[in-house]
Amino acid sequence: MAILTIDGNELEVADGTLILVAAQDQGISIPTFCYQERLTPLASCRMCLIEIEGQKKLQPACATPVADGMTVRTDTSLVAQTRESMLEMLLANHPLDCPICDKAGECELQDQVFAYGAGESRFRDEKRVFRTEDVLLNPVIVFNANRCIQCQRCVRICDEVVGAVALGTIEKGMDTEVTGFENSLAGCDHCGNCIEVCPVGALMSAPYRYKARPWDLTETDTVCHYCGTGCQLTVGMRDGHLARVRSKYETGVNGETLCVKGRFGFDIIDSKHRIRQPMVRRNGNLVAVSWEDAVGYLVERVRGAVEEGGARIGGLASPRLSNETLYLFQKLMRSVFRTNSIDSSSRWASSGPAAPGLYEALPAMFDGLYARRPLQDVLEADCILVVGSNVTDDNPVTDYLVRGAVRKRRNKLFIVSARPSRLDAEGAGFLRLLPGGEAGLFAALLDGLVEDAATEKSLPTACPDGDAQETDRTETAVPATPAWQEFLAGAIPALAAARTVTVLIGTDLLRAQEAAAALRWLRKLGRVLETLGKRVGVQFLFDRPNQMGAWELGGLPNMLPGWRPVDDGQSRAVFEQAWGTSLPSEPGADFGRMLAQCEAGEMEVLYVLGSDPILSYPDGALVESALSKVGLLVVQDAYLSETAGLADVVLPAANFVEEPGTFTNNEGKVQRGREIRPPAFEAMRNVEIFGSIASALGRDLGPTAAEQVFAEITRLVPSYRGLGFEAFDGAGAFTVPTENAAQDDPDDPPVPTPRESRGFALVTGDCMFHSGYLSRHSAILETLSAEPYVEMSPRDGRQLGLSEQASVIVRSRHGEARARLRFNKRFPDGVVFVPENFADLRLNRLLKQGEYPCQVEILKA
Amino acid sequence: MFDKVLLKNAEIPNAHGIGAYEAAGGYRALATVLHEYSPDELIQLVKDSNLRGRGGAGFPTGVKWGFVPKDPALEKYLCCNADESEPGTFKDRVIMEKDPHQMIEGMVIGAYAIGAQKAYIYIRGEYVLSIERTEAALKEAYRKGYLGERILGTDFNLEMFVHCGAGAYICGEETALLESVEGRRAQPKLKPPFPVVEGLYGCPTVINNVETLACLPHIVQRGAEWFRGIGPERSPGPKLYCLSGHVRKPGLYELPMGISLRELVEDHGGGPRSGGRIKAVIPGGVSAPMIPESGLDVAMDFDSLAAIDTMLGSAGVIVLDETACVVRVAKRITEFFNHESCGKCTPCREGLDWAVKILRRLEDGRGKHEDLDQLERLCGSIFGNSFCALGDGAAWALSAALKHFRDEFVRHIEDGRCPFH
Repeated sequence: MAILTIDGNELEVADGTLILVAAQDQGISIPTFCYQERLTPLASCRMCLIEIEGQKKLQPACATPVADGMTVRTDTSLVAQTRESMLEMLLANHPLDCPICDKAGECELQDQVFAYGAGESRFRDEKRVFRTEDVLLNPVIVFNANRCIQCQRCVRICDEVVGAVALGTIEKGMDTEVTGFENSLAGCDHCGNCIEVCPVGALMSAPYRYKARPWDLTETDTVCHYCGTGCQLTVGMRDGHLARVRSKYETGVNGETLCVKGRFGFDIIDSKHRIRQPMVRRNGNLVAVSWEDAVGYLVERVRGAVEEGGARIGGLASPRLSNETLYLFQKLMRSVFRTNSIDSSSRWASSGPAAPGLYEALPAMFDGLYARRPLQDVLEADCILVVGSNVTDDNPVTDYLVRGAVRKRRNKLFIVSARPSRLDAEGAGFLRLLPGGEAGLFAALLDGLVEDAATEKSLPTACPDGDAQETDRTETAVPATPAWQEFLAGAIPALAAARTVTVLIGTDLLRAQEAAAALRWLRKLGRVLETLGKRVGVQFLFDRPNQMGAWELGGLPNMLPGWRPVDDGQSRAVFEQAWGTSLPSEPGADFGRMLAQCEAGEMEVLYVLGSDPILSYPDGALVESALSKVGLLVVQDAYLSETAGLADVVLPAANFVEEPGTFTNNEGKVQRGREIRPPAFEAMRNVEIFGSIASALGRDLGPTAAEQVFAEITRLVPSYRGLGFEAFDGAGAFTVPTENAAQDDPDDPPVPTPRESRGFALVTGDCMFHSGYLSRHSAILETLSAEPYVEMSPRDGRQLGLSEQASVIVRSRHGEARARLRFNKRFPDGVVFVPENFADLRLNRLLKQGEYPCQVEILKA
Repeated sequence: MFDKVLLKNAEIPNAHGIGAYEAAGGYRALATVLHEYSPDELIQLVKDSNLRGRGGAGFPTGVKWGFVPKDPALEKYLCCNADESEPGTFKDRVIMEKDPHQMIEGMVIGAYAIGAQKAYIYIRGEYVLSIERTEAALKEAYRKGYLGERILGTDFNLEMFVHCGAGAYICGEETALLESVEGRRAQPKLKPPFPVVEGLYGCPTVINNVETLACLPHIVQRGAEWFRGIGPERSPGPKLYCLSGHVRKPGLYELPMGISLRELVEDHGGGPRSGGRIKAVIPGGVSAPMIPESGLDVAMDFDSLAAIDTMLGSAGVIVLDETACVVRVAKRITEFFNHESCGKCTPCREGLDWAVKILRRLEDGRGKHEDLDQLERLCGSIFGNSFCALGDGAAWALSAALKHFRDEFVRHIEDGRCPFH
């Protein structure tokens, strides 16, 4: 600690604290342009120069750490005069075109001139003008070089945080200009973080251009609905329509950053593709009806299936919905429709005779091992393992945070994924591994660790992997490829040496049939690491905003809210008592098995909530056929979906800015999504729709207001106990770890044998510009990325005689799709990636449940 | 009569070849160092010699070396700053063109002192012959075993590379130089961390000027006391003075440190051009404030010049006679610094541009009296507030012109034209 005085106030702060920060904590504001908390200090704008006793020159407060006994003055006339002259110099060539500048009203230069400036300029020569027209660097970023004050925040955030290095600086002195290659940012991430950090109107949002003045906007802080990172953002509306989205300085998990989806994809709230009215199918056509008629029709058709016990009813909910909606949906299904056939994703490996139990393996992940802690904390681990995710595309802001942590702390990062990502370059090692191989990887790491610990004689006897199993372990031999060996040679010693270990699990892993085995091995690896005295934290990298909440609040066929097994009487009793009704005791079907039930003609009612399984279920042939055989297909959604086109009843729901609700992000943090405007057209809030259906069936679902539903959750779900709805303003609130009833596997889970692969292995996932099929409703994201593509290594392409941009056919045993070829020189041989974001491609017609990654051939179209 | 030290070989034909250098006793100092000195003893020798850096700042070389962390696990670098881009300066060029082995031998000695196994020579790109000769000399030195592995049969290894600059003045600033070597945009970096702790590629790095390094073989061979005996005790040694401008015999002069400026200009340089009278002298490259004729009785060393608010800098002595328009000189110098400003910090980037705009008006006779106040204000805003010494130097040089020759500026305003042109 250092004791110093700033403007006569004595304070004690940690060593290394910057004077600027220490002063701020004292309520003494020191102006700056170039300083940003998460960027390396530059000390170039010279606005923060202050006096330090004993120093001849003024010193930059943004780059000078405190020292014990230091006397700092920020309130002298010299400091004031220096600020004034820096501002006068900055304004000398600044165009002062505030009346036509988007930034006016929230411009840092304007604000600082107002606070510290002279009020008049002595500059009377001609101003430097780069160009008279602004440059559209890409469809979302407009640039006016004349206004730039060279703080280089944009360049630094693009390099240090986003990792894209798309912005740089050309020329020098007064001609210094920030730009991209060839004065374009066509190839960048389009994340707009450069716009966010720009203190002036140099880098501007093209979609927001000339739309509003900041004071015209009604701004609401809410949570992003695109992925599980759960970024905090501020939605600015003008006259009921979206004007812009921005992030706030050092607010939320994301700090000031957002990705392209979060910043520019919010225009979906004004999408034309809304479901405007309730509809029912009559004589083969969907016709608009009143809410009363729609609910009446639905109830009439459902009643019989409910009365026979609910076994012929199933429900699929989207993991994009709020905790309250998801909770109430499963409550409706279980307590009113009397079924446990509930799922909250259509994309994961389905359980079945061939692949037992992803969902059975889940509860064990959510006991103590799941790190319900800030991602920033988790990323301080000595060793970070990322498995089964292209973080850069799936969770861009998590990618930023990982990059920041690794660059700052120089901890060891290891990436295991099917396709390359930008994070590979930050790591100590990476391994290209197809989904399905993760169990083998965890087993190999565990073997290596046990061996390492055995030589060190430090493995306690309590270790679940005793010496007795030594012979078994050698059978989990890993592929003897140099890449594997090299990876393990780096990762095992790093894990062994680490005191803290973090494992981040992506969704690639959940798609493969071997997902359950992978989770079991991960759990085992985690336990062994803990036995070796390490602190272990696991988090999922969900690509949907509320997969956590969906799973934790009973969006599973085998689990009641709070990871309570449905087949456990005591668990059921908790809810039976709370809900005042008996509950079905048999575990239900996951979505794959529901479809099998549909296909067999045994599904009377399928209730699809905000999901579009026609596009997303990884077996196009089955889902199309199965859904046509359902007695009553109900679709409740805000947006028109392919599945809605087949529905018998279509219920228009509020979108995510039209209803309040909470979301549980990948960190296990509950954040509040705000109601920004009332539901559009005839849409109703999701929870209210459930309430009216229940009451039409003569049942009471209890209160449906978000606060009350959340209160019920906090009473019944241990991890959420004690959280108050109001407490979420700003930072959100963390759920707490609980011990589940889950048992460790008594035996080593089997290591799946690698599947024979011929041709190419097709993997899918989100591309950088889209999130599932929802984002196609965003006009801006569609502009940025409208075309599907097939990504592969140029070497593979050349061997097939194909050139970049060639139109190719991707053919599997089940179907084919056509798209353009894109080369990526970092791509592994034998693997192709096709994003799952393009509806017209009908990628799922190539796929079959249980056959992921899918074997395909690539042909010239 | 002072016996030349650094330039003693310069007049020998083909002195740049290793044969001539060895014949004149070259690389014997290196053998002495490698066989008889420990790195610490060598650092002590250089400290004892009071050798101060010839690049401009005059920091004691041995002290700088002493700051390098001793941890043998850390890789260390030596960089020779041969960017020599200060207008009026051409001393390092002569060493590299005429006697490059002197610099190379000095570098091997320096690298041995600090434990560097890699060394870079950063040569300004326009110095084509210097680059050629230095590269040729490196090849010779490798061939003769003065560079490479197991130098002179010892355990000491050293690789040396030439890195050519691309023409930016700022690359002479040591941290910008390192950025440039790393392939980045050349802009000065925050200090601390100082390069001796965290320099090239994040490793401890010593940056020394060509002339500084060239002194080392002589200090080793003739001793610290000999060196300290030349010129003033606190900044001793032989010194190269670059004499240019309105003087009868311009050129590079090697004389003791501390010689009087008047003696240099009038005796060695032959005084002003015929019929002229000296108006002012810039003593250390254009960033050094000019001295009016009345102040020429000053000793040319770091401390004496600092005492009269100017500096020895790179010892680029530029003589201005009566025909010189100080406004034009000040404008030209400020234009140079404005052109070379890297653009990183506000005062240097914006302030110099503003100053140039005013100076151009003044010289054209379109200036106003308040422009002079504004120039002074700008100098005050830039000096001490810019990120690196470039802005400071520019403002310092300009304010000296304003201070000593304000009447010339006023005449431009009042006459509405330049009285000299």
